[in-house]
Amino acid sequence: MMDEQYRELLAGYVDGELTDLEKLDFERELSHSAELRAELQEFMQLKEVTNTMRYADIPDAVWDSYWESLYKKTERGLGWIFFSVGAILVLAFGLYQAFHQLFTDPNAPLWLKIGLPMATLGLGILLVSYVRERIFAWRRERYSEVEK
Amino acid sequence: MTSKKEVESMNSDSALVMSIGTGDKTAFRVLVERHKKTAYGMALGLVGNRDDAFDISQEAFLRVYRSAKSFDHKQPFLPWFYTIIANLSRTWLRRRSSRDHRMVDLDEAASFLVSDDNPEEAVIHDQQVTRLRQALLQLSFADREIIVLQHFRNLPYDEIAKLLEIPRGTVMSRLYYARKRLAKLMGSHDG
Repeated sequence: MMDEQYRELLAGYVDGELTDLEKLDFERELSHSAELRAELQEFMQLKEVTNTMRYADIPDAVWDSYWESLYKKTERGLGWIFFSVGAILVLAFGLYQAFHQLFTDPNAPLWLKIGLPMATLGLGILLVSYVRERIFAWRRERYSEVEK
Repeated sequence: MTSKKEVESMNSDSALVMSIGTGDKTAFRVLVERHKKTAYGMALGLVGNRDDAFDISQEAFLRVYRSAKSFDHKQPFLPWFYTIIANLSRTWLRRRSSRDHRMVDLDEAASFLVSDDNPEEAVIHDQQVTRLRQALLQLSFADREIIVLQHFRNLPYDEIAKLLEIPRGTVMSRLYYARKRLAKLMGSHDG
């Protein structure tokens, strides 16, 4: 069973991160541990594969517009906060007034007292769902404008 | 408002974040230009999808912008920034796995790594590369994180230790186990 210390040193050995003393200690252990030699070979092969690869970059056009896009988001964030708070206040007040009038009116039919709140709730759910879908679709289509 | 020249003379990221805290957008721009590719690269390694890595990197900068005032300027910027990226990536991966499993299909994932080999060698390595891509996507977040930082960001151990705020020995230990699991997963994709 391999000592935990040599597991750590093995990683460092593969990456050339050991001090001279650590390297000496590791190589001494390596000379008489077949298990360690097998693991070293496995890690060296892995390193060899990853060394031939890198992450693909995104197109230059996207980098060029990175700041503009981010800057708009900082402005948009503030705009959305004001808009959302204002819209919620106006909508809440409007709905309160409408429902207050409806429920305090003894002549209003029962079907209207049940139907209108249900329709309002349903509309709200549909609106939220639609907006979420549009945001998701927009994210997926970001690169459609970039020339390949 | 600080002039662009003055801002550029401020070398440390922490100084820039301090200026951002006062609403200085020029300082914010300098910070963004300095770290945008790193942010994108880190997010890409963690989520394996270009569009989402782009969004995560921008969201991370927005969070820096919004919380610059609360940043402890005695602390280094990059570990804090990396934590934001890692947290956003974790959240995004959780949402993705519960929202739409088709998004992690291998065709899409295969687009995020390319081989540096010449065309002939690339053909020879193609199978190995495909196996690595598949295996990376199956690793846990913690394993993928340490593999990406060492193998694909090429960060020395000391920098990884600072970034993840863990001791150097833990970096070596985590790398050992992450590599063991990666090698095992690659083996399971053989044939």
